[in-house]
Amino acid sequence: MTPVTGIDFERITLRDALDLAVLIEEEARDRYEEFADQLAAHDTPEVADFFSRMARIEERHRTELLERRRTLFGSAPSAVDRRALFDVEAPGYEAAHAFMGVRQALETVLAAEVKAHTFFSEALPRVKDPELKVLFQELREEEVHHQALVKAELARCSEKPDDSEAYADDPNAQ
Amino acid sequence: MNAFLAPNDYKSPLKPIWCPGCGDYGVLQALYRALSAVGRPPHEIAFISGIGCSSRIPGYTTSYGFNTLHGRALPIAQGVKLANPDLLVIVAGGDGDGFSIGGGHVPHVIRRNVDLTYLVMDNQVYGLTKGQLSPTSPRGLKTVTSPMGSLEQPINPLLTVLAYGAGFVAQATPADMPGMTALIEEAIRYPGFSFVNIQSPCITFGEEDQQLKAHKARMKPLASLGHDPANQLAALDLARAYGTELYTGVFYRNPSPPPTYDALVRQRQVELQKGEPRSRSRVLDGYLKA
Repeated sequence: MTPVTGIDFERITLRDALDLAVLIEEEARDRYEEFADQLAAHDTPEVADFFSRMARIEERHRTELLERRRTLFGSAPSAVDRRALFDVEAPGYEAAHAFMGVRQALETVLAAEVKAHTFFSEALPRVKDPELKVLFQELREEEVHHQALVKAELARCSEKPDDSEAYADDPNAQ
Repeated sequence: MNAFLAPNDYKSPLKPIWCPGCGDYGVLQALYRALSAVGRPPHEIAFISGIGCSSRIPGYTTSYGFNTLHGRALPIAQGVKLANPDLLVIVAGGDGDGFSIGGGHVPHVIRRNVDLTYLVMDNQVYGLTKGQLSPTSPRGLKTVTSPMGSLEQPINPLLTVLAYGAGFVAQATPADMPGMTALIEEAIRYPGFSFVNIQSPCITFGEEDQQLKAHKARMKPLASLGHDPANQLAALDLARAYGTELYTGVFYRNPSPPPTYDALVRQRQVELQKGEPRSRSRVLDGYLKA
């Protein structure tokens, strides 16, 4: 199942590719914001804070890409919109669950970064435009860098892999 | 021609309070995208729901919304559509709301063919009230109200609506977001009553093998089986597999949709205006003679 629909990577322009990259970051930002809200509403403030931080990071990436797009193409209208994207870098909704721990949250982010890397790796062979190829290679390498950052944080995480939910009560009937 | 409306234009500032990991989050996201694709502005849309987790949906959109009574979403939605036929009316609810307390309304909305889209988020359990048996719970399911396992045969929502003659019947899962978005859009565009059964698992009270990860492994798109959605008999046959197979896609789409009830009401109004004026006294005369 492709996470991007209706886009032909053989014909896509650099401008549209930059717009797509902006939207990928926007989608991830929105998902982490949703996760932060979900976890905050379910008494898991530490993980909510972590997802809020992730949302801010994705927003920073989005702003950087948007600046590049504006420098190169000004305010020319975009030919791609959010409807074309389905969880490229955003984790799927099933990744969140009540009382998840920080380690699980980090693993969720790592899986999302791997997914984004796979997306760019699979798109690259179809890209013909040399400038576009460079952009996609750069974006793919960014994902490798992000994975390294998350792995380092996972290594520092004091929470044991099976700690999550150990303290959560079973749901009770009314 | 309306200006482009992005999915987030349909998203209200009210934050959903479903459990993290609930299938309904994906349904809501797919709904925003489908509405953006259809392009009707929020003030031309009305969401009507009953009671349950999924019935919270009207509050999470920027369109008109009415979170009504348990099981009464369909009659109220029919009233809304007949009062203002220009509104795009979408009904959202769960399997309990739609096929238990509200089950009696299903055949009548279908036989009238009111132009509504009915999205049922089928999680096979009463999630909001903490996990009791629902009409689509599989036989043998252990819940707080069936500690030794359910003795009841579940209702088959697909077979039910097909048997009553629904013109558009589909099934989706949030495990396939592009597929679900396309199905919701197609259902909205269908001219008549349309029904989408969305297998939206309950992360808290649902079974492990009914969660989205399992859906990804189990789901079988009907298009990949070569199913012809115009074939009603084949649709009925495939629908029998509800509960054992997870087919996704359009089971049935009537290739010649009959006129909708709302269109017939409009036609009747025009005929009455054209014809001989009917005075109130003539109507009353009928009663007096009796």
